Amino acid sequence: MIRAIIIDDERLARNELKKLLLDFPEIEVIAEAANASEGVEKIDTLSPDLIFLDIQMPGKTGFDMLSELERAPNVIFTTAYDEYALKAFEVNALDYLLKPVEPKRLADALQKLQLEEDKEPISDHSISVNRSILNEHDQVFVKDGERCWFVKLSDIRLFESVGNYAKVYFGPNKPLILKSLNALEERLDEKVFFRANRKHIVNLRLIEKIEPYFNGGLLLEMKGGEKIEVSRRQTVKFKEMMSL
Amino acid sequence: MPKNVSKYYWWCQIGGWGFLALVLVLSSPTINNQPITDKLIGLMAVSVLSGIFITHIFREVIRRSGWLLLPVEKALPKFLIGILFTCIGAALVRILVVDALNLVSLAARNKVNFMPRLLTTSLDSGLLIVPWTLIYYFYHYIENSRKQQLDTLKLEALVKELELKTIKAHINPHFIFNALNSIRALVDENPARARTAITELSNILRSSMQAEKLETVTFEKELNIVKDYLALEHIRFEDRLQIEYDIDEDTLDQPIPPMMLQTLVENAIKHGISKQVDGGLVKIVSDFKDDYHELMITNTGYLNGSRNGDGFGLASTKNRLQILFGQRAHFDIREVNGNTVQARVLIPADLSK
Repeated sequence: MIRAIIIDDERLARNELKKLLLDFPEIEVIAEAANASEGVEKIDTLSPDLIFLDIQMPGKTGFDMLSELERAPNVIFTTAYDEYALKAFEVNALDYLLKPVEPKRLADALQKLQLEEDKEPISDHSISVNRSILNEHDQVFVKDGERCWFVKLSDIRLFESVGNYAKVYFGPNKPLILKSLNALEERLDEKVFFRANRKHIVNLRLIEKIEPYFNGGLLLEMKGGEKIEVSRRQTVKFKEMMSL
Repeated sequence: MPKNVSKYYWWCQIGGWGFLALVLVLSSPTINNQPITDKLIGLMAVSVLSGIFITHIFREVIRRSGWLLLPVEKALPKFLIGILFTCIGAALVRILVVDALNLVSLAARNKVNFMPRLLTTSLDSGLLIVPWTLIYYFYHYIENSRKQQLDTLKLEALVKELELKTIKAHINPHFIFNALNSIRALVDENPARARTAITELSNILRSSMQAEKLETVTFEKELNIVKDYLALEHIRFEDRLQIEYDIDEDTLDQPIPPMMLQTLVENAIKHGISKQVDGGLVKIVSDFKDDYHELMITNTGYLNGSRNGDGFGLASTKNRLQILFGQRAHFDIREVNGNTVQARVLIPADLSK
């Protein structure tokens, strides 16, 4: 059973989608929201497996709402014709449905979702002991100006502190998110993400090389080529962790 | 006239006449069997300078009286008379200067009477002034037709662009698809309302297609479309959209540009109501104020500066009013009472209606 939330500012649009989803018994619509802030609230309390998300909503857009979430659920965007949203979808290869929704397209989108889950089972939230810690299979939604991405935490090799922001390194991209490194550290799985120094958190699985450095510190070279120094105090901790 | 064109003209004048004088002076020994003397050079200098002087006056006359803009058959007689006067003028100047400077011996001068001398000098000048006029005329003829071609092309491109933009501005696809989605949901929930909604949508689509062909429509016609439009948006927004009309019945016959009110109301929804979580009010007022038909569209919301995307609807409203009514129509949009946006159009009242 996939637990879903529909977020759309129009009651009739939500009804219409619910009606279409009746043909898919594996989808259970557990809640609805009429704007972004209601949406965030319901996602936080109910942690759904899937959300249907309208882009154009009063107050905040669907994109804005997603970038506020700690952990991005699976998302199927819904929109009537909207040039800007369509461009964003094309650039980022996100799945979307155009309203009025064609039943066939809905079926395709849901099937694609099922396939991805089979390939890489998303952690069952009811089992996870501490829900506030993000699993490496969790994804986050990152928005940087016009561009946006769903990023699996396992693909992020480095967080770098830049003032009040954190720069997120994955693939060739390094967008900024409005989160402090300390707040991130609290939410990240310490078995995977390690605080190397005041300014950097590294993904232990994406280290390319480790070299000794001045003062008994270490120099890490990440898979993307970034060189990160491990402070002396953290080096002790790092060696402990790596030696098991 | 641009500076470089006038510079070009002077180079042609001095170059052309100078070249001619040089050729005549140098070829004089071979053709006329006359040696190059100071007097000969003096005579040539007088011909050249008087030529430049008189053709320059001729050019001023042509330009000031706009002969170049006339069709060929009307320009031809004027040019012929012009050439005649210019030739006589040139001859007079030449004779006077030549005599004053004593470039021809008195004996030679006394051999011929003044009138025949004027006639021959005029014909002599004509040999140069006729080609000068032909060159001048054809240069401008070619230049003008090239410019005209370019202007036509530019105009065509502009018209196309405007057409495309207006079609786009007239109906927002976002609105159409949202309306269709609402109607689909209504089919089960409220079939009767779904049926009227389809009629309303058809009316809007039809009128927007016809709008291209008309300069103005009656306010009543436009208001009916806007009423259909707002009824459809009300299906979407439900309680979030309140609508109020305050219409002076006498204004219903007034002419307004088609789809203008529609564009403004659409803006009120798109940038006002749809951005407010709790929605708001759209109010349309139409009345007479002094000698003007005043249209006012107010909506809950804020004016967000001059963002690029929003600009077209407003700019096209201004443009259309200006094209149709010139400086007599007026449009402005402003924020009042902190949370209300008011768009206002003043069109000179058509009292014959």
